Amino acid sequence: MSKSMVDVPPKGGFSFDLCKRNDMLSRNGVKPPSYRKTGTTIVGMIFQDGVILGADTRATEGPIVCDKNCEKIHYMAPNIYCCGAGTAADTEAVTEMVSSQLQLHRYHTGRESRVVTALTLLKKHLFNYQGHVSAALVLGGVDVTGPHLHTIYPHGSTDTLPFATMGSGSLAAMAVFESEYKEGMTREEGIKLVCDAIQSGIFNDLGSGSNVDVCVITKGQKEYLRNHLLPNPYSYINPKGYGFPKKIEVLLTKITPLREQVHVIEGGEAMEE
Amino acid sequence: MGDSQYSFSLTTFSPSGKLVQIEHALTAVGSGQTSLGIKAANGVVIATEKKLPSILVDEASVQKIQLLTPNIGVVYSGMGPDFRVLVRKSRKQAEQYHRLYKEPIPVTQLVRETAAVMQEFTQSGGVRPFGVSLLVAGFDDKGPQLYQVDPSGSYFSWKASAMGKNVSNAKAFLEKRYTDDMELDDAVHTAILTLKEGFEGQISGKNIEIGIIGSDKKFRVLAPEEIDDYLREVE
Repeated sequence: MSKSMVDVPPKGGFSFDLCKRNDMLSRNGVKPPSYRKTGTTIVGMIFQDGVILGADTRATEGPIVCDKNCEKIHYMAPNIYCCGAGTAADTEAVTEMVSSQLQLHRYHTGRESRVVTALTLLKKHLFNYQGHVSAALVLGGVDVTGPHLHTIYPHGSTDTLPFATMGSGSLAAMAVFESEYKEGMTREEGIKLVCDAIQSGIFNDLGSGSNVDVCVITKGQKEYLRNHLLPNPYSYINPKGYGFPKKIEVLLTKITPLREQVHVIEGGEAMEE
Repeated sequence: MGDSQYSFSLTTFSPSGKLVQIEHALTAVGSGQTSLGIKAANGVVIATEKKLPSILVDEASVQKIQLLTPNIGVVYSGMGPDFRVLVRKSRKQAEQYHRLYKEPIPVTQLVRETAAVMQEFTQSGGVRPFGVSLLVAGFDDKGPQLYQVDPSGSYFSWKASAMGKNVSNAKAFLEKRYTDDMELDDAVHTAILTLKEGFEGQISGKNIEIGIIGSDKKFRVLAPEEIDDYLREVE
């Protein structure tokens, strides 16, 4: 820790020292490693009691699906959640950092966090990094001033909307929203619309797939419905069964049942930390 | 004081081997309002007098007991503004620990880091030590814990402790009354009785502050009405 009287902020930002070297390498035919992106369809909408957020669960590394069931809806505050598209590491790091800052702010003010506070902290950070932090976010929550829904682009611009979509599947999802959305929908209608929009992204966009996560935030309460829909179940059972090829003689059959896995149940809620 | 020649610079030892500024800091603490803490079998209670300089001060706006994390609270004796600075730093350290290790900070770790901050200010140029002693109360996997942190940066774990004006009487009273198998409610009553010993004037829910943490691991400051209920039970 520094011994100076004044708290000097740490020198942040990216160091671009290796750019020339990387340039030279790519000119000589060395391909840069691809990073894990969340191809993604993320959506959010405002209904009569609050906000509903939805996301798919596929994470891709180029043409490979690296995570079939990842979590794209991130916790920011007890009353604010954020969906993230773009580079998975960037969305995780940025939402965790701002969630931490919001917690400190809550201790100091003694009040519930507001969505605009999260919005401003996120956009300031993203603008500072001039778009190099590749995180496209849909931020939604309910605070004292009412329900709010915002989109944040990697360069730091924001929109405030009644319904929003982001990610590679955003056009597929937006098509569903534009035709079906109306103001003041009920909870069931809202969840169904969000699921339809995400499924439209799952089935029509290669970057999105697997399951649907939904998060419903109302005044004083939130429901995180992890894997609310599983339209792509895992069904790899070989109908012929397993056996040896015909030429092999079976000498001995011994079946050893595997030890039962121990389930560690931790006290407390999994989502809120 | 014979050591006065060596009391101009914080970073200079006196011939008797003391750092005089820290002794003075402890004096500042000793003239602050009484505060105490008691560790029960199933929780911890911390309490302090809340004597305001005038009846015109809005006592609801003064909060001497503060929350550091959902399961750790702290009270002080000494200089209020120094306390505010330490609370801010400690909260930030607890959050940084959580960001790094994804677990709530254990009480001992937070006490250690706060004590390290206080020690820094006894070995740097141009700064003075903090004029507060802290009582940190927390409940984590190791059970209920109570720590005292001094301006020098030394910390001790206590079963029951007191600081501030009436410290010797309060500690004697606690020594007599403390039992290892106390329940949290008994501990609150004992805390109130200890505060009452040295209290000038009429004790009420508005001029003392009490914070408790039980097996639910959630630290909270009692409302004045709840304190009044306990006061009635004590009588």
